[in-house]
Amino acid sequence: MGYEESFPPMDMKWHANATKRFASPFVDNPHDRIDVDPIILSHAAVACGYTIRDFYEKPELGIHCVGYISQLYDLLPVTHWFYSMPWTRELGLKLQYKETLPPISTGPILSEPGDVDKLRVMDKEELKKNFTQQEFYRIYDYVAKNLPMTLVPISYGFDLVGAAAELVGVENFIMWTFTEPEAAKKLVKIYTDTSVNGAAALADKYGMAMLIVGSVLANNDIFSDDAVEEYSAKMMRYYVDQAFRKGAGPQVFYHLCGNHETDYKVFKDNLIWSPFTVFHIGYKGKNVFPSKLLKEEYGQKATLMGSVDTKLMINPNPVSVYNQAKEQLLGGRDAPKGYILGNSCECPPYTLPGQMLALVKAARDFGTYGSW
Amino acid sequence: MDIKASDQVKETVAKRGLKVDDVMDVIKTAEGGNKKAVDKNTGKILAKKVINNVTVYADYNVEKGILKSHANVNSAYSHRMTLGKIVNATEPSNWTCAHCNAPAFLGTAEMTYMGVSRNGPAVVCPKCGDVWVEEYLATKTLAAAEGLFEKKKA
Repeated sequence: MGYEESFPPMDMKWHANATKRFASPFVDNPHDRIDVDPIILSHAAVACGYTIRDFYEKPELGIHCVGYISQLYDLLPVTHWFYSMPWTRELGLKLQYKETLPPISTGPILSEPGDVDKLRVMDKEELKKNFTQQEFYRIYDYVAKNLPMTLVPISYGFDLVGAAAELVGVENFIMWTFTEPEAAKKLVKIYTDTSVNGAAALADKYGMAMLIVGSVLANNDIFSDDAVEEYSAKMMRYYVDQAFRKGAGPQVFYHLCGNHETDYKVFKDNLIWSPFTVFHIGYKGKNVFPSKLLKEEYGQKATLMGSVDTKLMINPNPVSVYNQAKEQLLGGRDAPKGYILGNSCECPPYTLPGQMLALVKAARDFGTYGSW
Repeated sequence: MDIKASDQVKETVAKRGLKVDDVMDVIKTAEGGNKKAVDKNTGKILAKKVINNVTVYADYNVEKGILKSHANVNSAYSHRMTLGKIVNATEPSNWTCAHCNAPAFLGTAEMTYMGVSRNGPAVVCPKCGDVWVEEYLATKTLAAAEGLFEKKKA
């Protein structure tokens, strides 16, 4: 029995409407309301009675849960599945599945800067036979067969700095940016080049590959603006440029999780903007990044995704979600190239359904096109 | 100027739904007005012309003879998006704007399709405002984007 037999068929009437809503910010074709993407991952599995571990260990089950539960909350009609360390197994890490967490690294790490010279970029053909790419092929083949209307093949560069740092230990990496910057840069470059080849391998098979790339570890809690630009923004540009050259794209989702209090400015002239780009920032200091500022700074660059604090999604007070979503919607809903309401990062696995309802209710109340 | 295209190039031109005569027109127009981008390392030339709402590009080299010059066409391609103003110029490129005799940059330009304007990557000349799209972007990224616009607009 396949996982598809555990789920009722998709509501195609819902899907048709959600598809029109999803298209609207990209083609200036206002539909019923602003779309909501709370970045659901393992919450979808939990909401269907499975575990966080199930979500990551059984990718086909996990991605079906995402497609299924999106109907309940009336979210984007597309499926996605990933964890934050793609390509790291290929570069030497062992990952361990946990009951309450995404897979974590158990090493071995490269503890000396000179060890970075032992790493090499894995080429596209090698990647096609290895773990991460095989996992992506499995889930997208599964979706193509069972939920084809939700298929968007996505390749994850994800957090180029953060995932690279895992290869040497995050503390070591941060230290190296001060003491061994060449080794730190070389490490990020090797990880990025491997991710580019992964995107190319996905595009080879499916004819396209949406790119998701972020700046998570590289944020103002840890790095200066200059360091964020050097290690992260420039490499994000490089990743998208190289991936485009190899046939991936044209959709790009830039995900800036963490505190981007002042470094948010360095991305503006470094990133590549395609006609289907979504730009998202999580926090400014301890607060969510204001959508009004996001619109002022990036509204002419791309479609924007505003943030509601993920902490509120597990806080037993739905109106706090509703009020913050309202504030963000009022600030960003008239962004010239479209706006989507989101969370500041992945919605927590144990997100409360009442909070999700509050998020979507705010979009219905304050995100209706023509009402502003 | 004589313009030559190999059978292989003619086959590519046909596969991409273009006409050899249009490609020749692009080259003649570019050479006549000196409106083109030149790769400073290889001498390769990139020229474009909007023909029937499609921007047609010719990628070619010029060989200067004693009496006349010859253009050898390396490739040709097109996109349906309309190029607009420059949004930014981000990093130096190998390209030079022949008209301005100034460096062209990798950057971002406005692109409009089916009435929708968004940004897209391009080679840009900040001096005269001219914009070009390289072959890999036109035939992959923008071609896919045009398909998405058509699907999402439907």
